[in-house]
Amino acid sequence: MSERQPPWFLVTGLVIGLALGLVYAWVLSPVETIDTFPHSLRADFLDDQRVLIAQAFVATGDLGRAQARLALLQDPDPARTLAMLAQRLLAQGEDADDARALGLLSSALESGVVGPGLVPALSATLPPNTPSPEALATDTPTPEANDVTETPDGSPTERATRTITPTPSRTPTATVGAPFQLQDLALVCDPALSPAVVQVVVVDQTGNAVPGVEVLVTWEGGRDRFFTGLKPEFGLGYGDFAMADGVTYTVQLAEGGDPVPGLSTGGGCPPTDDGTTLLSSWLLNFRQP
Amino acid sequence: MTGMRYAAFMIAIAIGVALGLLYGWVVSPVELVDTAPSTLRIDFKADYVLMVAEAYNVNRDLDGAARKIGPLGGEPYETILTVQQFGASAGYDERDLLLLGSLGEALRDWVPGQELQATPTP
Repeated sequence: MSERQPPWFLVTGLVIGLALGLVYAWVLSPVETIDTFPHSLRADFLDDQRVLIAQAFVATGDLGRAQARLALLQDPDPARTLAMLAQRLLAQGEDADDARALGLLSSALESGVVGPGLVPALSATLPPNTPSPEALATDTPTPEANDVTETPDGSPTERATRTITPTPSRTPTATVGAPFQLQDLALVCDPALSPAVVQVVVVDQTGNAVPGVEVLVTWEGGRDRFFTGLKPEFGLGYGDFAMADGVTYTVQLAEGGDPVPGLSTGGGCPPTDDGTTLLSSWLLNFRQP
Repeated sequence: MTGMRYAAFMIAIAIGVALGLLYGWVVSPVELVDTAPSTLRIDFKADYVLMVAEAYNVNRDLDGAARKIGPLGGEPYETILTVQQFGASAGYDERDLLLLGSLGEALRDWVPGQELQATPTP
């Protein structure tokens, strides 16, 4: 009498089959990552992409196109993401122009418009000897610099399939008029502001907030800078800088104007009811005359 | 009986392969994360290069432009040519094509670190 053996050969067959499948999938025909989408990019490449989108936006002022490009990255809150990236770049000492571009785009996304002073004049004038590439060896007229540019308002995919509706690009204008001037300087004694900060608010002639304004901060043995518009939740023309206790700062807009010296945390805030001395923050309002 | 066992064995292997594929393709398909720009689909690559061209048209930073195009793979000039051809076939705006052409021309004779010699003075 022989005992009935379990069907080990079937289990063996399954294991061999799985092994064959894995060898095929991992060795013979491994996955090739091609035709990927921008949102799958590695984090550092995603940041590069955001910077690039911002730079292109600053160069063209085309907010619609920038929005379409950002949509491909699938950020839940693109404006906030850009603002945070800008602050991170500044903190890391990266190119301030990149941070500024990110701030400008973030602000534009928040406000929905490319406001005055947001971006430099569109100097996208092609050089006079602009070549026709080999692939484009056709006699196409060069658009005039002041033409309203017809640009696709959609994703690259949409462009590729020609299902786009061209929309005119917005042509931004440069900041015009006199440099911003200090309108008022106020001592701020707010226990919620810890550490104490230098707050700067910049508005134009008509009272509209102006993001992207570079603010220089100097003190004995050091200097730094920040930009308005990187904290859109406080207003597009707002920027701030954390002060260290015992240091006296001088603040000046990078584009000119008189420096504002003597800003320190010991500005004279009265003690609170429990005797605590508040650190002094400062609010500087700049306006274009 | 041996023939039956052999057939069952082969069927088991087939089932194993099928289960492996089912798991790999349906239950837990590959999710692409942390990819590099070189793997982007051609239209996304083209838009990437177009962004570089738009920025270059204003800042004239040829080294910077070439550095940004680098992660797409290949020589920057060749990448530009590929993108130009795609742009033309995909119906890109004429102005976009000219921007790409301008950058492509500048990159044709580009030598790293010598952009002043490669870029004609406007």
